[in-house]
Amino acid sequence: MKIFFALLLIIFLAFSGYHLTFKRLKLPFFKYKFYLTGIEFLFLGLLLGPQFLNLLDTQTMEGLNPLSALLLGWIGLLFGFQFEVSRLRRFPEQFLTAGIFEGISTLIFVFSGVFFALTFFSNIPIPMKIVTAIALASAAACTAQTGLAIIAHDYPRKRIKTVKLLRHISGINSFFAITAFGTAFFLRMLIFSNSISILIILQHIIIYIIACVILFFLYSALLAQRREEDELTLIIISMAVLTSGLSSALNLSPLLINFLAGLLLVNTSTEKERIYKILISVEKPVYMLLLVILGSYLFIDSPWIISLGIIYFLYRALGKFLSGFIITHFNTKLKKHPSSLGFGLLDQGGLSLAILLDFYRGFPTDISARIVSLALITVILNNFISPTLLKRLLNKAA
Amino acid sequence: MLYQDQNKNTIISYLLTLFFIISLAVWLKTLDLSSSWQHAGMINFSLGFVLIAAYACGNILKATRLPLISGYIFAGILAGPYASNLLTLEIAEKLRLVDDLALSFIALAAGGALHLNFLKKRSKAIIINLVSQILIIFSLVFIFIFFFGQFFSLIKNFTSTQTAGLAMLISVIAVARSPSSVIAIINECRAKGDFSETTLGITVAMDVLIIIFFTIAMTIARLIMTATDIKNNSAFIALSIEMTISIFIGFILGKGISYYIKRAGHDLPLFLLFVAFGVTKASSWLSGFMTEHFDIFLHLEPLLICMSAGFTVQNFSRTGADFIDSLERSSLPIFILFFSMAGASLNLNALSMCWALALCLAAVRAGGIFCSTWISGMINKDPAHYNRNAWMSYITQAGVAIGLAKLAERQFPEIGTYLVTIVLAIITINQVIGPIMFKIALIRVGEAEKT
Repeated sequence: MKIFFALLLIIFLAFSGYHLTFKRLKLPFFKYKFYLTGIEFLFLGLLLGPQFLNLLDTQTMEGLNPLSALLLGWIGLLFGFQFEVSRLRRFPEQFLTAGIFEGISTLIFVFSGVFFALTFFSNIPIPMKIVTAIALASAAACTAQTGLAIIAHDYPRKRIKTVKLLRHISGINSFFAITAFGTAFFLRMLIFSNSISILIILQHIIIYIIACVILFFLYSALLAQRREEDELTLIIISMAVLTSGLSSALNLSPLLINFLAGLLLVNTSTEKERIYKILISVEKPVYMLLLVILGSYLFIDSPWIISLGIIYFLYRALGKFLSGFIITHFNTKLKKHPSSLGFGLLDQGGLSLAILLDFYRGFPTDISARIVSLALITVILNNFISPTLLKRLLNKAA
Repeated sequence: MLYQDQNKNTIISYLLTLFFIISLAVWLKTLDLSSSWQHAGMINFSLGFVLIAAYACGNILKATRLPLISGYIFAGILAGPYASNLLTLEIAEKLRLVDDLALSFIALAAGGALHLNFLKKRSKAIIINLVSQILIIFSLVFIFIFFFGQFFSLIKNFTSTQTAGLAMLISVIAVARSPSSVIAIINECRAKGDFSETTLGITVAMDVLIIIFFTIAMTIARLIMTATDIKNNSAFIALSIEMTISIFIGFILGKGISYYIKRAGHDLPLFLLFVAFGVTKASSWLSGFMTEHFDIFLHLEPLLICMSAGFTVQNFSRTGADFIDSLERSSLPIFILFFSMAGASLNLNALSMCWALALCLAAVRAGGIFCSTWISGMINKDPAHYNRNAWMSYITQAGVAIGLAKLAERQFPEIGTYLVTIVLAIITINQVIGPIMFKIALIRVGEAEKT
């Protein structure tokens, strides 16, 4: 019975909460930012979780696994819809290269640092080190667009080019984050089975491909003709549920598979606008639920986790700063933008959180909870610090 | 020619959909699921599978002019534990949560579909129908089981008191209907008019009355079978209190919903889903809580609460139109889920065990419905084509009948298994043919929108 009430409570909080946060509040900037990004739901999750009220205990959270998988799938679909090739082509080429460079460089930078640290300071198996490093690097590579949108709104048009560049980069880097993280699932068999073989990885890749091909045909068959609104909604919800379930059952990433489905739909379906409208209509509650669920996983059993969280935060900020610095110094067309461009890309959004949840559910090991906790601390820190840095950056941009 | 080609293409696209999704399901069945994450994935997959397969089946049948819900039910039967077992009993049990939610949501719609003005206008017809149907169907089914039951192997070894008890309970269950099926068919056909509204009014009212009659029947059956004198009427008082409280809570809830629509109004379908879910689970929790802590058996009926809430919003507020609009917007997945799960739970084993008895009882019941609707129509002076077709509207049976049979099974262990087997077999027949017959009736009386 507890699971039903837990579900009721978090759904109620998510729906009532997002209307309060997104529609009603008129608060000073700092508080506004706090509420608007919904980060308070992370604290709510913490409060409801095992550390405090224990309403969302381990057993209840396991019962909510289908919901978690669906949330990941929905977010994956939403992000897939950001990559419409014809729309991306409209942006200047230098924006695209900047986005690609920033995404890849941050990934490599954070991956190397985390892998190096794990090699020296922990004795977990190598595949798990690689997966953990990939997960943290992928979460680090993402940039939230919400914070950018809120602050950019207050700035005059002359800074609009920098804002556009930042937005473009933040869109592109999510592609690398999701795909890099999705590849981590190929290593899953190596962690949870004793045998290490290339064949196992190959088998996993083939399963990925078969699943994607069948889903492609399913989507094509279902969307072959124009549907009424309620039918289209049904198809999208059912397919999101089905795809998330399929990926979880096959030990694949629901985030990646749905991302690929979204990518496919936005570039092939004539119904893309209507589908996007359906997806976006519950975007906020989906994020709120994600935050509550992740908040309940926040597990701080020693001050070390906070310290590691701060180190990870600083290291990621360094990676972002360096990539921004290189972009603005070596790309002649982007020299007019401030060299501290990377500071505008610190805010971590829903995708980082989704990656962390996917990691936690996909790789349930002893250290997963701690890894997710330290990454969540970084998300919270970024939520508080990034607005100030972004404001400074935009003040510099002329 | 163009229409035929389009129809052909449509059917092909749905057949392809079924082929792909069944391939996926068969593939997944071969997997060895180890982690809780994989099991959670299987639940999601099954849910998505049911929704898409039932949607495709419904549309294939629609192309052949059969009701959509028959397609949903067939998909459920084929995927369910008694046929292909793609949807195992374990998964079906886990999906019970969404099934309960769907039922409460449908109850909201049932209450919302009742217009007080219309009920007043047709009150005479509704009351006459209710009385005649209860008396005639009950009597015919009772007589059949009591006098001819011995000819069927399943119950030939029963004592006369056991046969009488069984006959009493099955006869009351035979009166039960399926408001959800009626609403689904009316929605699908976009039917409007006296015929469809009277059918809906009778079906919903019968759903409430059946609970009372079943309690009376259980008391009498106990009297017959245990030969004891039950003098106290505490069961009836308790039932009356429970029903009054349920209706009152529903009224308050309805007022709350209309206040929400007036003051906020956003995300209404989601809000109503939340309400339906909350009512279902809170009623069940409250029942357990009261028994555990206060030793009071209080069973609030979630369906009655939701019906009362829907009725209140429709008739005692100005937000009825928004309410109905939002229910209709989210009705498709709800109907698909509910009817496919209902299909999956139709017990083919039970049908194979007592198909002859079930067929006879279904025929007797249909005969009883025909006689009662004909007589009621004559008394009301309804048009002749109404009287000829009215019986076809009341064949469907679903959730309530199963619930009552399960309740009786617990109360009468000596005949319970037989009772459930027979009832499930009859429901399987009625739920397969009922929706088809109701659609035909709506077409014949001219209330189904032409497509």
